Amino acid sequence: MNSIRDKVAVIGVGCTKFGDLYDMTYEDQVCEAAFEAYADANVDPSEIDAAYIGTYLPHAQGGKAGISLADPLRLYDRPVTRVENFCATGTDAFRNACLAIASGQHDIVLVVGSEKLKDRPGRGIPRIGHQILAKGNTAPGLFALAANRYMHEFGLTRETLAKVAVKNHWNGARNPLSHLKMEVTEEQVLNAPMIAWPFGLFDCCPTTDGGAAAIVCRADIAKRFRDDYVLVKGAALAVATGRPYFDPTFDYVGFRSTQAAARNAYQQAGVEPSDIDLAEVHDCFTWTEISNIEDLGFAKKGEGGRWVEEGRTRVDGDKPINPSGGLKSFGHPIGASGVRMIYECVQQLRGKCGERQVKDPELALAHNVGGPGAVSCVVVLGRQDA
Amino acid sequence: MVGISSIGVYVPRSRLDRALIAKAWGGKQPAGEKAVAFYDEDALTLAVAAAHRCLEDFDALQIDGLFFASTSSPYREKQVASVVATACDLPREILTADFAGSVRAGVSALSAAVRAVQSGQARRVLVVAADCRPAEPESDLEGVLGDAAVAVVVDGKARLAEFVASAAVAEEFTFQWRSNESSGVQSQDARFSVSHGYLRDMAEVIGRVMNEQGVGSGELAALAVGTPDARTAQQLAKEVGIDAKTRLVPSLAAQIGVTGSPDPLLQLASAVERSKDGDAIVVAAFGEGAEALLFRAAAGAGVSAVRPGVQAALDRPLALPTYEKYLKYRRILGQDETPVELVSNVLEARELQQDTRLYGTRCGECGLVQYPMARVCLQCKARQGLEPVKLKKKGKIFTYTVDHLAANLDHPMGMVVVDLEAGGRVYVQMTDCTADEVKIGAPVELTFRRLHAGGDNYNYFWKARPQ
Repeated sequence: MNSIRDKVAVIGVGCTKFGDLYDMTYEDQVCEAAFEAYADANVDPSEIDAAYIGTYLPHAQGGKAGISLADPLRLYDRPVTRVENFCATGTDAFRNACLAIASGQHDIVLVVGSEKLKDRPGRGIPRIGHQILAKGNTAPGLFALAANRYMHEFGLTRETLAKVAVKNHWNGARNPLSHLKMEVTEEQVLNAPMIAWPFGLFDCCPTTDGGAAAIVCRADIAKRFRDDYVLVKGAALAVATGRPYFDPTFDYVGFRSTQAAARNAYQQAGVEPSDIDLAEVHDCFTWTEISNIEDLGFAKKGEGGRWVEEGRTRVDGDKPINPSGGLKSFGHPIGASGVRMIYECVQQLRGKCGERQVKDPELALAHNVGGPGAVSCVVVLGRQDA
Repeated sequence: MVGISSIGVYVPRSRLDRALIAKAWGGKQPAGEKAVAFYDEDALTLAVAAAHRCLEDFDALQIDGLFFASTSSPYREKQVASVVATACDLPREILTADFAGSVRAGVSALSAAVRAVQSGQARRVLVVAADCRPAEPESDLEGVLGDAAVAVVVDGKARLAEFVASAAVAEEFTFQWRSNESSGVQSQDARFSVSHGYLRDMAEVIGRVMNEQGVGSGELAALAVGTPDARTAQQLAKEVGIDAKTRLVPSLAAQIGVTGSPDPLLQLASAVERSKDGDAIVVAAFGEGAEALLFRAAAGAGVSAVRPGVQAALDRPLALPTYEKYLKYRRILGQDETPVELVSNVLEARELQQDTRLYGTRCGECGLVQYPMARVCLQCKARQGLEPVKLKKKGKIFTYTVDHLAANLDHPMGMVVVDLEAGGRVYVQMTDCTADEVKIGAPVELTFRRLHAGGDNYNYFWKARPQ
């Protein structure tokens, strides 16, 4: 298998503030993120050869087509593709942009993730899927199935889950773009209203609006745009069944899609999990972060909780996880999240993250998982000297 | 020889303490509770539950008829017998009919089943009577009516009781009714209706069937009757000339209420449990006339004749915490919180074997049983050799959540992943339980319940309840 390692460079990123963006339209989010990325990359929109939009919900005007990116940016007469892949939508859009460069077809490609959950009635995410089977499922309920089995197997407690929320809120409180900018205590997390056992309100990420963008180009022309470009070391996607709850062979203590995508991404990058200096992982619920750091190969299965207890995943720990605040605090506009993670990784590798800056990172990892466990995408980014 | 070979009884787990009704409206209520269909139950689902219990010892392929009796069918137009038959995975080539109109329907259906088997039109007929009759808030009947279902197999083996004879009368007499506009069962001048309607007609048919067969009042072992209330049964015993204390099957009205069309069959079940070979049993019901059937208990009668036993069917009640919950669950008050969803009848028809008959797939290569039905094996990826397999309805919870967010009439809602006996894993809603009954390893059984009611069209699917 050919690797895309060092063939693709990230030369620009942009990100809106995340939150209840009641005054912004989907188009506003797309434009703000994309034009920030253009400026960051020093690229003129006319230079964009192709573009990918990662978004989950159908767009009011553009439906389920690339038009939902092309129209707000007036990006016509070139390929614009819509990517939708559950919660891995954003990172998968980025992966496709990288493949478009690595194939030699295009030189400069724009990728945008944008989601407008707050324009929806109810809780933002419409029920999809079979009309009868699995009726009654909710996103927290589906992840809670895994959390309860995991807690049964390994004796993990809600107190440890709460520590994930405390850490990610601490990080998010130090991020000017994050949705929930407040610190929380373990007691607050444990005493919050119950959502789906074992998850209380503060174990769950919020429903959020936001947009993010990245511009990638051929690595050999990246110097034209900026000196401190970041290299793509690997990008991998893997899927498993979308109905894990009907799979009698599933042990429910981790996600094979993440394990497979991570193996593939490390192989492309030629690195080990221990080489990764920081990771933005899909902490849609507190338990998910614990499982992720195991599935990504950082901790052994069953030991993720101890890593959290020991503070190893804090910004000043030996494996900082979600220095941005994660989905938990930064927010989770579904299709935007993956691209937002790329934004954070790039800013960390550039050393621009202020109080939440990880010390001198060379390799950063972004990870989405959706489904739950149905689809997972892992991207490894590195400095030029990594 | 024609008669009864199996009886199954189902009483909903939820109970409303009559004291809560008295507290709501003032005034007095008799002591005790009434059984209340849970928010996801109706006469159709009660019928399926009783039928499943009744058929525990029968191969579904041996049943060639199903009669459903109820005054409270969820539909004015749509046959319920065929839905019950499908949920019980009975063959397509069977005789079905719905009996309705009055609480006599249960006995009428039993009588019709006997005749169908006698005539050779059918070999083995399942009769299912189920009711959850609505009562208006603050009405006299609110504390009286309760919900239940009884299923009876009628065939040529007559394992539990042999049919002997029947008698019937029919004449217009208005006692209890429910028009298209009524929100609950209506009743008029109970004292006159009992003395000049109920007692007259019931005594007439019971007397006739006994006299014609030469069964003296001293010889009658058990009188099993549907009554508007417990006291009226006592009067009837007196009218017929039997000792109410020893020969009248004790009423369950105090424990579960008066249950309508299944009531005489519930009494019959109790009678069969108390009988020995050769005992004479009369079962009778009233409604614009009356009908009585005389049976002789057979060798199979006795304490273990009924599934799971009448008393066992009343076990482990769950008390409704408030009167308001009762109003909500029976949709008397408030709105259904579940979003309106209409299931396409195309999907329903195409997936009948999977969703209603509850079949999964067994892989011929690796043996994995999987649900929903597979086109390629989940485990070994085989494309050939996949066979439909009927799933067992018992299993253990592999994992769970108790969800406070899910749109549902009852909060919070358990969602469970269940590993079924003999293979297959399903992910279903939990029902009929307290939150602490939803836990890893707990044994559960699948039960057919109303899932949603979009467009006035009820959809049913399987849920799990504690075993």
